[in-house]
Amino acid sequence: MTEARRLSLILVVALLALAAIFAGPYVLDTYSVNVLTRSLLYAAVALTVDLLWGFLGILTFGQSVFFACGAYAAGLVSTHMDFSTSNAFLALGLGVGGALLVAAIVGWLAFWHGASALYASVITLVLPIVATQLLYSGGTFTGSSSGLSGFMSFDLSMEAWFWLSGSFLVGVTTLAYIFVKSDAGRLLVAVRENEQRCKYLGLDTSRLKILVYLACAAIAAIAGYIYAGYAMVVAPELAGFVFGTELVIWTALGGRGTLLGPVFGALIVDYESAQLAGDYPFVWQLIIGTLFVLVIVAFPRGLLPVVFDVPRKLLGLLRPRPTTPATSVTLSTLDPADAQGVEPGEGAALMVAGVVKRFGSLTVLEGIDFEARAGELVSLVGPNGAGKTTLMRCIADGAERTSGSIHVNGYDIGRKPPEACVALGVGRKFQMANVFETLTVAQCLQIARVRHDRPSVWRRAQDLQLPQAAMHVLATTGLDKQLSTPAHLLSHGMKQALELSMVLALEPRVLLLDEPTAGLTKTERMQIGAILIDLAKKQGLCVLLVEHDLDFVREISSRVIVLHQGRIVLDGSVEEVVASELVKQVYAGSGHAGIDHETAPSPSQEMPA
Amino acid sequence: MIGQMLDIVTTAAILYAVATGLLLVFGVMKIINFAHGGLMTLGGYAALLTTQAGLNPWLAIPAAALFGGVVGMAIERFVVRPLYNRPLDAILATWGLSIIIGQLITIAFGRGVQFAQSPLNGTLDLWGESYSAYRLALVGIAAVLGIGLTALLQGTRLGLETRAVIMNEDLARGLGINSGLVRFLTFTLGSALAGVAGALITPLSSVDPAMGVPWLVNAFMLVLVSGASLVSLLFACLVLGGAQVLVATHFSPVLGGLTIAVLAAIILRIRPQGFARD
Repeated sequence: MTEARRLSLILVVALLALAAIFAGPYVLDTYSVNVLTRSLLYAAVALTVDLLWGFLGILTFGQSVFFACGAYAAGLVSTHMDFSTSNAFLALGLGVGGALLVAAIVGWLAFWHGASALYASVITLVLPIVATQLLYSGGTFTGSSSGLSGFMSFDLSMEAWFWLSGSFLVGVTTLAYIFVKSDAGRLLVAVRENEQRCKYLGLDTSRLKILVYLACAAIAAIAGYIYAGYAMVVAPELAGFVFGTELVIWTALGGRGTLLGPVFGALIVDYESAQLAGDYPFVWQLIIGTLFVLVIVAFPRGLLPVVFDVPRKLLGLLRPRPTTPATSVTLSTLDPADAQGVEPGEGAALMVAGVVKRFGSLTVLEGIDFEARAGELVSLVGPNGAGKTTLMRCIADGAERTSGSIHVNGYDIGRKPPEACVALGVGRKFQMANVFETLTVAQCLQIARVRHDRPSVWRRAQDLQLPQAAMHVLATTGLDKQLSTPAHLLSHGMKQALELSMVLALEPRVLLLDEPTAGLTKTERMQIGAILIDLAKKQGLCVLLVEHDLDFVREISSRVIVLHQGRIVLDGSVEEVVASELVKQVYAGSGHAGIDHETAPSPSQEMPA
Repeated sequence: MIGQMLDIVTTAAILYAVATGLLLVFGVMKIINFAHGGLMTLGGYAALLTTQAGLNPWLAIPAAALFGGVVGMAIERFVVRPLYNRPLDAILATWGLSIIIGQLITIAFGRGVQFAQSPLNGTLDLWGESYSAYRLALVGIAAVLGIGLTALLQGTRLGLETRAVIMNEDLARGLGINSGLVRFLTFTLGSALAGVAGALITPLSSVDPAMGVPWLVNAFMLVLVSGASLVSLLFACLVLGGAQVLVATHFSPVLGGLTIAVLAAIILRIRPQGFARD
């Protein structure tokens, strides 16, 4: 399916939905139209819960507050000022502005670098509790517990409010759908799947989360504003924890991460609640509660996928058809003239001076000093616990080290987070293959290029330009023939190669590789080795490699640094290190008694027996 | 002054009694039991039934523990166990259970507010201040709970295994500890403690189907700032409960109600491990 066809199909469905909304008042009774107007607005808020929770992975209990923000802005302005069109727009501006302000504060609190998912949820849980208490204590200004009622509003017919609410819902749902299916929207899933990898691909995930959170707050506030205009009553419950959790329940029932599921979940449950709550209020709540627990435990994807999967499977049984490979992306090599990697700065590519890392009283690294130039392939060797991986971490994340300084390409990394270190030219490959398991190979690579190629918020790119080094890895390992394979189906070696090409797609100047060949076959190791030599020699990268396999180290390195108990005990050419008695002792494990860490190894020491 | 000191200490004791069950479950299972509020409500109704039957009000405590424990067993087996690897989903599912418990109680007892008989009436004179005897008794009860749990965790084989599971579940399993059983017992104990907490607060507040929910968020925030330690929970209850009392008396009761949640959120922002030592 071409891009234009995909987008026009979405638009056709949206137009059909609009037509259904238009027909609504003519086929439904007055009571239903009245109730559904509210449900349509609630559905728009449930949509924002799905964007945050289903796509970005932030379980939020506080979207009710933004809805109340819009609603109370309308209520307060109409109550305390004369109703006029200009004041109505002022109210809309205040509602959205207030929601954005609150969202910015919450975002700053909840999505800082290193905050856990649980902490973000906790903040969104505290938010409605604070908001309701503030509304309660507002006295006559907010109407306290009874809220505000009897204020003026736009003089629209009930049908017109239904159409307005329905068009708003269709509008935001269509935009949200186009967004989440676009290249930019895929980032949301990438952050949910593996936030760490995103940061080390140079993406400011905190910023992304805050932006999406702000957008969701604005949508909810507009929904609340329309709600107040039509209901002409606002109450503190709108901001409450109970409404906040109801939104989550609707989203879960409908199917998180499907957009349409939460919309229909909200419409159906809220509409039925209004129908049934009069006669069986407690039984109805009990049914919803039971269904909710059942869905969470047994159908975590919600009911919409279940509803859609069953007929699809039945159809599949009747008419088995070959699975056509999804339209994939065509790769091409980036013209070196267009490369945007960091320019090599003055002096050494990597300069590590006096780096110390302590965990409490335990010192893992002490006084690490070394420099590495572009084109050098430096191997970092040493027994387990020598501090090799810790050193890598300190170079890739400015917040890691206890003291000392690190310069990359002549720039001080200071206390910068990983994404800022990537911007200075650091590329880090983790010890365990660290990719986006549910995304395809091509999508993983696209995300690695996001830093250089801004993704579209509505389209999907059909071609992907990768730097030569990344293309080289893909071609050598045959990954370029598996572009539409989901990453979790790849073999261990292929995952390692994929991660390496993702890191190379960043166009780094300093490449940090933590045991890139662990668990690989001999052939795969030779391939990776050849690629690394090529990267250092031809592309002029500074490669820092942690490795246990000394034969491999000897084959590819231009220089070896030996770490032992958190200190550099030897820094020299391959020949020097291989000939060193000290290294043999370190590895044989008998050298701990007599090693003088500060000076060069003394050749007089005896070989261990 | 003395009165305020006593307010702080007794408030901390109540919070401690309410939060221990949640802390135990969070410590061992790494999940937040949002049914804690519902189980407290259950305990409150157990107390109501006990006093309505004309039994000694002190018997409300074991009755509530029994109610909470039995329901907790069922919850662990059928809802929590499938969600071990999905902690955020476990929050939601247990919240759903809280709704179910609340609605079942509403259907059985109606929505109305009822009152249970207090086991201790009147006041005690303490340093020239006459103070509610029951609130003072709660300090003793909370101390017994804390000491009892500490003894259980530090002094018994089960406690040792539980601490092993808290520190490193995979390793504990590898060493032959039945971590499933530890989790089951922990959740049962945590639920029983929730029931007890519900019974303990009934003389201070009314009994109604939503009585546990307002306590849930405060208990939850206290647990988050305490990590998995009973000692830091005590500290958190004293500091945050004390702040709540001071804000409520000197500024406004509404702000007092928010103090624990807001302070805990700020503490966790500055120091993600909260009051825990590392």
